[in-house]
Amino acid sequence: MNSRARLSISKRIFLVVFGLSLLAACISHLRDAKFYYSQGQALSRQYQTEKAIAFYKRALEEAKEEAKKHPSAQAYLLKGMAELNLELWKDAEASFLEAFSSGFEEGEEWASEVSLLGLASSLHELGLKDLALKSYSYLLDKSKLKPVSLYAAQKYTDLALAQSLLKEEKEKQKILNELLKTMENLSEKDFGCGFYHYLQSQILSHLADYRKSFEEAVMARELGLPSEKIFRDNDLQIVFCYDKLKSLLPPEEWRGFESHYQAWIKKWGWKDSQTPGWKKETNNAADN
Amino acid sequence: MKVSSVEKVLERGVQLVSEFFPLKTYLYFPVLYSTCLWAIRRREEWKGEIFSWQVWLNPDAVEVKPDEFVLNFFESHPGLQKAYKEEIKAKDFKTLRATSRALYPVIGLEDPFLEALFKPELDSQDYRKIASEFEARVSRTKNDIEAVEEKSRFREALKSFGQEILALSLYLLSDAQIQKLIIKEIKKLKGKR
Repeated sequence: MNSRARLSISKRIFLVVFGLSLLAACISHLRDAKFYYSQGQALSRQYQTEKAIAFYKRALEEAKEEAKKHPSAQAYLLKGMAELNLELWKDAEASFLEAFSSGFEEGEEWASEVSLLGLASSLHELGLKDLALKSYSYLLDKSKLKPVSLYAAQKYTDLALAQSLLKEEKEKQKILNELLKTMENLSEKDFGCGFYHYLQSQILSHLADYRKSFEEAVMARELGLPSEKIFRDNDLQIVFCYDKLKSLLPPEEWRGFESHYQAWIKKWGWKDSQTPGWKKETNNAADN
Repeated sequence: MKVSSVEKVLERGVQLVSEFFPLKTYLYFPVLYSTCLWAIRRREEWKGEIFSWQVWLNPDAVEVKPDEFVLNFFESHPGLQKAYKEEIKAKDFKTLRATSRALYPVIGLEDPFLEALFKPELDSQDYRKIASEFEARVSRTKNDIEAVEEKSRFREALKSFGQEILALSLYLLSDAQIQKLIIKEIKKLKGKR
């Protein structure tokens, strides 16, 4: 190959590489904000809090730049989402309100619903719980977007459970049964979603139905859960149900349950009946 | 759109390419010209793509636990059982519930970030100190974490140039005008050398 041809090839390679670099480089702050936000979410799901915060902070910087240079509903939405994850509730509330006043365009229904969720979440943290509950309920009812439903379902459950704790027994049971019904309906529409089973397990535990709570938690574990934190919380729910059933079930029924339980934990590779694989071993005080 | 502002941006573009590839002057014109054309053609396309990229909020674990769960959490951990003996005995759910907000993520869920943050207290089994300092210390530590930094100076430089090009309404100029402006800037740089 002569030197001229070599030069031409290297020139072409350079142009392709340079062009690709530019393609990546010539991007708006909005794209960067979305990129960093997604990275933060991925790390947060893996329980890497410190790194996740660093990414959320970068996402916030980019979203602020975008909102300053090219204000749009999505720029404020991203700003609000990053603020929400950094627990800057008041700032997040202002950003989501700004997103609504900027107006969402056609095809941005997802962004509009996420903004409403974010706004409800900020109001929830700022103490306006009734307003937040209504917003979550509205989204659970109307939204066809699964990520919106998942988030709204968790927030709605937490708020309703907190309310139930403040009520007399009869009223408490009523709230819990209605909540359970709502989650069962969601689960019927999307039976393969482990997260809805996790929520049902949590509610059933408030209703002191530990057998069903255990079954739902097992189902949730088998179907998969959205983050390491939820996964661990679900495992601890399984252990809690085991402890409760041990003291509540008649001996014969307990023996049947115990053998069933041992089969599950063997499958999951747990260290013992009360120690999931991820958990450090401590001498269980209840056994001592 | 002022031609002088286009010239300024292109001048920076020429400087940027010359800085990274000082001996390859033959590349300056095709690279900058193709970038300008790319920016004009791709602007709307990119905007659409970025705007349609959807992002969501992550659901969290359910925080509100029944009293029985809270009690079981304290009773089943030897250190907690010892430290909160009185509260457990009295079934003081107000205190136990408030304390579990701090201790459950650290001891129950074994959150790696929180475990590292409260390592001295965990080692000395000073659970009450974790509970009393939890919110303030977590909040302070989160504030101290710095935003992730981009390492590549080249990427940053390119990004900045690309954004300036995108921000200019270059489509108002003809191809010939853009070519002329780029050549002018390259000649200027060559003249300086």
